[in-house]
Amino acid sequence: MPLAAKVTKPVAHDPDPDLAEKGMAVTISKISKRFGSTIALDQLDLSIRENEMFALLGPNGAGKTTLIHILATLMRPDSGTAEICGIDVVRQPRRARAALGVVFQEPSLDGKLTVEENLDFHARMYRMPAPLRRERIGEMLELVELATLRRRLVRSLSPGMKRRLEIARALVHDSRVLILDEPTVGLDAQSRGRIWEYLARIRARRTVTVVVTTHYIEEVEGCDRVCVIDDGRVLALDRPDTLRSRHGRHVLRVQALDASTAAEIAALHPDAVPDGDGGLAIVGGRTILEDLLRRFGPRIDQVSLERPSLGTVFLGLTGRHLREEGAAQQGAGKR
Amino acid sequence: MIQAVEGFGYLGALHAIWLREIKRALRDRGQLVGGVSRPLLWVLILGVGLNPYFRGEIYGEARFAIPFTYLQFIFPAVIVLNIMYTAVLSAVSLIADREFGFLREVLVTPVPRSVVLLGKILGGATVAFAHGCLVLLLAQFADVPLLLSGVGEALLLMFGLAFGLTSLGIVIAHRIRSFEGFGVFSNAVILPLYFTSSSIFPLDPALTGAQMRVVYPEWLVFLVEVNPITYAVDALRGALIGFNQFDAWLGPIVILAIAAVFFLLALRDFNRS
Repeated sequence: MPLAAKVTKPVAHDPDPDLAEKGMAVTISKISKRFGSTIALDQLDLSIRENEMFALLGPNGAGKTTLIHILATLMRPDSGTAEICGIDVVRQPRRARAALGVVFQEPSLDGKLTVEENLDFHARMYRMPAPLRRERIGEMLELVELATLRRRLVRSLSPGMKRRLEIARALVHDSRVLILDEPTVGLDAQSRGRIWEYLARIRARRTVTVVVTTHYIEEVEGCDRVCVIDDGRVLALDRPDTLRSRHGRHVLRVQALDASTAAEIAALHPDAVPDGDGGLAIVGGRTILEDLLRRFGPRIDQVSLERPSLGTVFLGLTGRHLREEGAAQQGAGKR
Repeated sequence: MIQAVEGFGYLGALHAIWLREIKRALRDRGQLVGGVSRPLLWVLILGVGLNPYFRGEIYGEARFAIPFTYLQFIFPAVIVLNIMYTAVLSAVSLIADREFGFLREVLVTPVPRSVVLLGKILGGATVAFAHGCLVLLLAQFADVPLLLSGVGEALLLMFGLAFGLTSLGIVIAHRIRSFEGFGVFSNAVILPLYFTSSSIFPLDPALTGAQMRVVYPEWLVFLVEVNPITYAVDALRGALIGFNQFDAWLGPIVILAIAAVFFLLALRDFNRS
């Protein structure tokens, strides 16, 4: 029995009186999408402010990519509307695309073209005049530190370089909203860190709204707001520190010495979920810890009490672990 | 009017898509090697080898009243073959774009899909056309005189055919989405179309229907006559060696029809996906 049933409750979104007056980069209202009997998005509402760094956090299958595809005009919603800078993505897809820069989850470069040719192709597709093309391509290559590789064939680049090139490409046409779908998946810890550095640098230089999906929790700490979604619905939406203080709970991680002990612990705490490292994660604090030690003391291999973090917020809200979280934390440790 | 102006604005994008196809083709060594070796094989080996057997009078009995050597006869067909291979197989780039995600990048730009498709087809057609022109370089070995007027007409026909067959390739690539499947299926389409296009043996226009059925089995005559490539080959023969098995106007019209029908089919598929 997952935690979700117990702890998931409608979350009041942070009421912001300025919201209506401020310019909205993305407005999503009552978007639904289903694939057969699976509901990918369920009446989802979301507003993203101009110049905001906005993170969509959710496990695989939460509906993040579906939402991104609808915003990128690659998929039509079953119902509801979505606007990019006030442009309806269903009714005026071409105008909406002109305002968007998208970095997809899967690579989308032409390996047989050079770094520069990939950018030049893109800029021509956005009808940029030649002098502006040259200027922007130079700037962007400088920004993502690929200027010296401009004549290299893309297929000879490392995955991290390719990702950087895709980010540069999504910005070449002066896009107002930059959407990145899991930009750091499949990259080593060092490259992941650099991707976030570039994003920060871009925002320091120009006005651009960044919408990023991820399931690496430690990555969203630097975002202005974080939206936790699961099963196509918004579970929580707030600043990272507010989320932590409002929804964060202590989480206890227990590793039993043998399988029978693990089974007993699981029976005692039906809410426990596997933590990905062969142990169990239980939402709860010191009392549960003391109780566990009293009952199973010598049969416990390892136990730790985690303070509220976005990771524990996520676990509490969704009853799920982000599968790659363990790996992400190892990566963070190396940095 | 406004639409026309907007359409004009996409010329740059059209050029970019076209240029990308050309660059990719030039960087693909295998494709170039195939484009050169295929006509050499057909003209130098098959053509030269079968040349002595082509004329009936060698056996004292003039069965076929065709005043050409076998080399001259198959030369225009080899042009068609080279165009066919390159054009149909160029659509593999659509499968690659889908597979490697590039298609998605193109589809999120503001460029309309029809422009994307047209650029791709024009690119593939240009490469196929160039491969057709490579065969023309062998003309003197095949004893085909290249006269200005004939070559001009032939080039037009070749480009029309390249455009139509590239569109056909796109239509196939839309239905068969794996690299392997596309290659196998395309070969299964190209070779039978080529062999039944009266490319390597003539249907003698001097023979009556009844006589022809004595020479060739009825099913073969039927296949040759329903195969649109037959008329494309015939049109090129008309332009290059002045020989037509069918009415001279029929070939160019069939080529135009191939181009129009397959482009519209490809457009319909592309807008739908």
